[in-house]
Amino acid sequence: MSLIQISNVSRTYQLNSISVEALKNVNLTVAAGEFLALAGPSGSGKTTLLNIMGCIDKPTTGEVLFDNIPTASLSNDQLSDLRAEKISFVFQNFNLFPVLTAVENVEYALFLKKMTAAQRRKEAEAALDMMGLLHLAKHKPLEMSGGQQQRVAIARAIVREPLLILADEPTANLDHKTGEEIVDLMREINRQKKTTFIFSTHDQKVIDRADRVVRIWDGEIVSA
Amino acid sequence: MMTLKIALRNIFRHKARSVITLSTIVFGCVALIFIGGYFQDIFWKMREGFIESLSGHIQIYRRGFNEHGRIEAYRYLIDNYQEIKELVSDFPEVEYVSARLQFQGLMSTGSNTISFIGQGIEPQNERQATIEETQDLRQFMKSKNLGLPVTVFGTSLVGDDDYQVVLGRGLAETMRAQVDHRVTLLTSTVHGATNALDLNVKGAFRTTQKDFDDISLRLPLQTAQSLLDTQAVQVLVVKLHQTEDTDKVFKSLQVIIRDKKLNLELRRWEDMADFYNKTAELFNMFYLVMRIVIGIVVVLGIFNTMNMSVMERISEIGTIMALGIRRRGVMKLFLFEGLLLGCIGGAIGVLMGIIIVSLVAAIGIVMPPPPGTTFSWLSTPVIVPSIVISTFFLSVFVGGVSALVPAYKASRLEITEALRYR
Ligand SMILES: Nc1ncnc2c1ncn2[C@@H]1O[C@H](COP(=O)(O)OP(=O)(O)O)[C@@H](O)[C@H]1O
Ligand SMILES: [Mg+2]
Repeated sequence: MSLIQISNVSRTYQLNSISVEALKNVNLTVAAGEFLALAGPSGSGKTTLLNIMGCIDKPTTGEVLFDNIPTASLSNDQLSDLRAEKISFVFQNFNLFPVLTAVENVEYALFLKKMTAAQRRKEAEAALDMMGLLHLAKHKPLEMSGGQQQRVAIARAIVREPLLILADEPTANLDHKTGEEIVDLMREINRQKKTTFIFSTHDQKVIDRADRVVRIWDGEIVSA
Repeated sequence: MMTLKIALRNIFRHKARSVITLSTIVFGCVALIFIGGYFQDIFWKMREGFIESLSGHIQIYRRGFNEHGRIEAYRYLIDNYQEIKELVSDFPEVEYVSARLQFQGLMSTGSNTISFIGQGIEPQNERQATIEETQDLRQFMKSKNLGLPVTVFGTSLVGDDDYQVVLGRGLAETMRAQVDHRVTLLTSTVHGATNALDLNVKGAFRTTQKDFDDISLRLPLQTAQSLLDTQAVQVLVVKLHQTEDTDKVFKSLQVIIRDKKLNLELRRWEDMADFYNKTAELFNMFYLVMRIVIGIVVVLGIFNTMNMSVMERISEIGTIMALGIRRRGVMKLFLFEGLLLGCIGGAIGVLMGIIIVSLVAAIGIVMPPPPGTTFSWLSTPVIVPSIVISTFFLSVFVGGVSALVPAYKASRLEITEALRYR
């Protein structure tokens, strides 16, 4: 069963008079449960494609089906609700809230879910525990290493039990060893929870750990 | 709960900046509470002084006096005033009822002659303060003393001696009058005949109004009555224990006058206190302007802070939008922060305002005489509950208003742009 179906998608950025075609007629289908690497050099269009798959951006032309829903027909609020229910993000810069502790950062992802504070805390701690970070629950992001921060970010992503986790260069700000540990953790979650992972990277060691590699070059998919 | 926690943490993210922003709000609140309390104190003192020195709370006249009395003063006198006095004195709210008879004439010391306005009064009701009493300004600023004429030399009218008079300070100076000098008052009786009387000067007084002191003298009511050849009085001045009871007593008196078909008319102090009413109006206007100006200054301060906060948190805003929080939700978060900032600043400001006003009131500020008057006075600002409450809510409101534009800006960010932002 396909989770995402992208047909003839182009994305053009308009910069004053010049227009940049970041994606050119892309076709791609991602099945539920895949562990997929999006590989390509800097500026090739990885982020643009992830944004479109994550429903935070819309294609200039073409069609996107997410979980069999044509996203073009959805309003901003409907897209927000769709993300809240089904999609999580992991970022290159971790994007944790500096004023919140680790466990509060994870709880924040449950902000829109109707549950009691105690329940929220319990699930957040469980997610942190899975990342082996329960002992840092009360620490603020700036008191943690990059690898620890990214693991908090992954805990925040998985605590909502989404269908899809999108990770844009999740290892780019980490050293190789830590980066590989992070990818292994994602792999483990993918196995246990059947969560679909799509991550972009240009690190060969990371690419090697994927089930499937989609290579993108200058806005075009060169091998899927 | 979570919203509150996060908003609080974000507000205090930059300590120095929060302190400055909060200081602006606190300063604004303190200023408004202080100035409001200072004005209130002025109003109160003006009011009580006016009532004590001139008007009493309610004045009772013969019907028609206020319309025609200026020209034919003696046609509108109250004959049966003792009866009415007794009737009105029965009200528990009434402190006393005092009869007055006012007239004009010429005063002569043999060498000098000058025109005057005389007031026949009941000395037991219309007390004068001594100079010693005015030394303790705080005591003198209490309502029972405020506005009392002050004896500047000699004494006030004493005992039941009929042949005595006290002069306004200006009048006394012009006539070079001293204690125990004899002066002759010359006037026409209510029937139009000329009459004169020799009186003993007991002393001189001053009121808050210099103009009044330059032409006025006071003498016992019965002396004025015999000089004018009448048993009647012009006005009954009703003094209450509390100014707040004025309307209540006024209404009851109206009913009595109607039911008993008395040929009388009434005026309340505020019908006479033109100067007070105009000043109050002016001050209220001024206070409104202050509120607006301070409000704008504080709005700009909070706006600046919130704007900086949004600019710094662009990638965070992108992150929470990616998490699925709607645009409206982002707007709410920032609005909430603004309201909370106004709330915290307002709470501290109101508290500080109350403390500062209490301190200043305990010490008191000696103020120079207001224009046209002769006394220094002691300002003791008061805490006005309605001003305290409205200042707090103004602060919260201002917090919300200042956050509107930054919050809107935050909610309009493009998610992808916000996430790309460094
Ligand atoms: N907001 C934008 N405005 C203009 N051009 C953009 C914008 N975002 C990306 N681009 C351009 O689109 C192309 C693809 O960018 P991106 O998707 O970020 O690639 P990658 O993530 O692979 O580095 C690049 O040429 C980039 O300069
Ligand atoms: Mg990128």
